[in-house]
Amino acid sequence: MNTIIDRLFANTTKIVALSILLIVAWIFATLLQHSMESIQALGFNFITESKWAPNLEKFGALPAIYGSVVSTFLAMILAVPLAIGVAIFLSELAPEKLKAPVGVSIELLAAIPSVIYGMWGLFYFVPIIRDVFGGIGISMLTAGIVLSIMILPFMAAVTRDAMNTTPDILKESAYALGGTKWDVIKDIVIPYAKAGIIGSFILALGRAIGETMAVTFVMGNVHKISMDLTAPATSIPVTLANEFTEADSGLYYSSLFELSLLLLVISFTIISIAKFYFLRRKRVA
Amino acid sequence: MATIIDITEEKALEVRDFEFTYASADEPSIKKLDMPIAKNSITALIGPSGCGKTTLLRAFNRMHDLYPGNEYAGEIIFKDRNILTPNEDLINLRIQIGMIFQKPTAFPMSIFDNVAYGMKLQGIKNRTELNDRVEKALKDAAIWKEVKDRLKHDANGLSGGQQQRLCIARAVAVEPEVLLFDEPTSALDPISTAGIEELIVELRERVSIIIVTHNMQQAARVSDYTGFMYLGELIELGKTEELFVTPKEKLTEEYITGKFG
Repeated sequence: MNTIIDRLFANTTKIVALSILLIVAWIFATLLQHSMESIQALGFNFITESKWAPNLEKFGALPAIYGSVVSTFLAMILAVPLAIGVAIFLSELAPEKLKAPVGVSIELLAAIPSVIYGMWGLFYFVPIIRDVFGGIGISMLTAGIVLSIMILPFMAAVTRDAMNTTPDILKESAYALGGTKWDVIKDIVIPYAKAGIIGSFILALGRAIGETMAVTFVMGNVHKISMDLTAPATSIPVTLANEFTEADSGLYYSSLFELSLLLLVISFTIISIAKFYFLRRKRVA
Repeated sequence: MATIIDITEEKALEVRDFEFTYASADEPSIKKLDMPIAKNSITALIGPSGCGKTTLLRAFNRMHDLYPGNEYAGEIIFKDRNILTPNEDLINLRIQIGMIFQKPTAFPMSIFDNVAYGMKLQGIKNRTELNDRVEKALKDAAIWKEVKDRLKHDANGLSGGQQQRLCIARAVAVEPEVLLFDEPTSALDPISTAGIEELIVELRERVSIIIVTHNMQQAARVSDYTGFMYLGELIELGKTEELFVTPKEKLTEEYITGKFG
C-alpha cells in the first residue's frame, strides 16, 4: 500500500515537473508555427532588411533588433557601475543602521511593476531629455535610462547578496596582512563574488532586452535606425505591444510572431549564459 | 590571585591592565589582564570555550576594530608604544603582527598571488624581489616542493593542510615580528596538524608566536610558555613544562586534569 502511495506521489511530481518542459516546447512550437508564413516569404531578409512598411508588405526586423540591442546596451552601461557601487556600499561600507532600510527599499524598487516605470519615465524623463538633449524627448536614450533605472535595483540586490557570501574570515585575513577597506573590496570581495555578480548582470540584461511596458511609453515605435540617440526608435517588444492589434494581413501577423520568436531565442541564450556562470560557481564552491 | 611568572628574556609584547568589551555586551569579556609575551618563543593560550583567549589574541592586531563599538582599555606595549591608542597605524601594525586563522583562508587567486599579496599591498612591484620572497616564504612554510610547479594555479585547489601552510607562507612573506595563530589546526587532519606544529616550532627562531588552542596536548607539544585563561582572566602563566606538571593554581590543575572544560 505504502509503496503505491510513494509511487503515485513520485509520478505526480514527475508529471508536474515535466509539464514545465512541455509548456516551453509548446510556446516555442506555437511561435514557430505562426512564424512559418513570414519565414518562408522573407527568409533571412527578415533580419537584415531595415524597412518596416506593413502597408507595402515590407517587413524588416533590423530596426527593432537594433533598438533592442542599443537600448539594452545603454541601460547596462548606466546601471552596471551604479549597481556595483550600491552593492559595495550596502555589503561593505554602510553602517549597520543603514544597511537594512536601504536594502529593503532597493528590494521594494525591484518589485515595482514595469508599467509604472514607463509612466513615470513618460511624464518625468521625457521632458528632461527634451530640454537637456533636444529632440522630442521620446527616444532611444530615454528608453535606455528608464531601463537602467528599472534593472538597477535587481542588479544591486543580487550583487550585494553575492558580495555578502564572502566569508568574514577571508576578509579578516586580508585585513590581517595590512589591507585597507578598498584593497579588501577589490582583491577579495569582488573576485570572490565575481560569478554571482556576472550572473546577476546577465539576468538583468535578459530582463532589459525583453522589457515591454517600461519602454513602450518612451521609445516611440519608429522603425528607423538612427545614430542619434535622441531620435525615437523601437525595439522588438515595443513593436509587438504597439502593432499586434493592427496586424491586418497574414504576413504582417506572421512577421510579428517571428519577431517574438527572435526575442525568445535571444532571451534563452542570455539565460543559458547566466546559468552557465551560476553552475560554474557551484562547482568551484 | 593569578600566578604569572617573570619573564627574564626580552619581551615581544606586554599586556598591562587590559580590558576588552564587545559592542553588544555590558560586561567586559576580559578583565584587568596583565601578561608578558617573551620574544622569539611560543606562548600558548589555553582555557575553556568563552574564556577570552581568542578575544585577547585578536586585540594584538586590533582585529576587533573591524567591527564598530568594541572597546579596549589598558595597554598593550609593542616596540615601546601602546598599540591600543586611537592614532595607532593599524595597517602598519598588522604588517608587523600577522595572523593565521582557524580555517585555511586561501584568497580567490593563484598560489603565487596569495603569497605575494601582502607584499603587493606594501607597494612592492619588482618582479625579481617578489619571485625571490615568494619562493623563500613557501620554503619557510615547507610547501615549496609541493607547489613550485603550479604557482599559477588557483590556491583553492590545494588540500586543507596545504592551504593552511600557504596562509603561513603568506603571513611570513611580509616578515612580521609576531605571528598570532588562532586555533590553526582545528580544521585539519592529524597528519596536517603535525606538519603545522612542526612548522610553528621552526618559525620561533625568527618570530615571536602566540597560539590559541583548545588542544592542551598541542600547547604542551609546541609552546615554551603557556597561559591558562578562565572567565576573562589570566589565571596562570608559566613555562610550559612547569605549568603542565606542577601547576601553581588549583583552577589550572583542575582544567589540565580534565575536571572541567
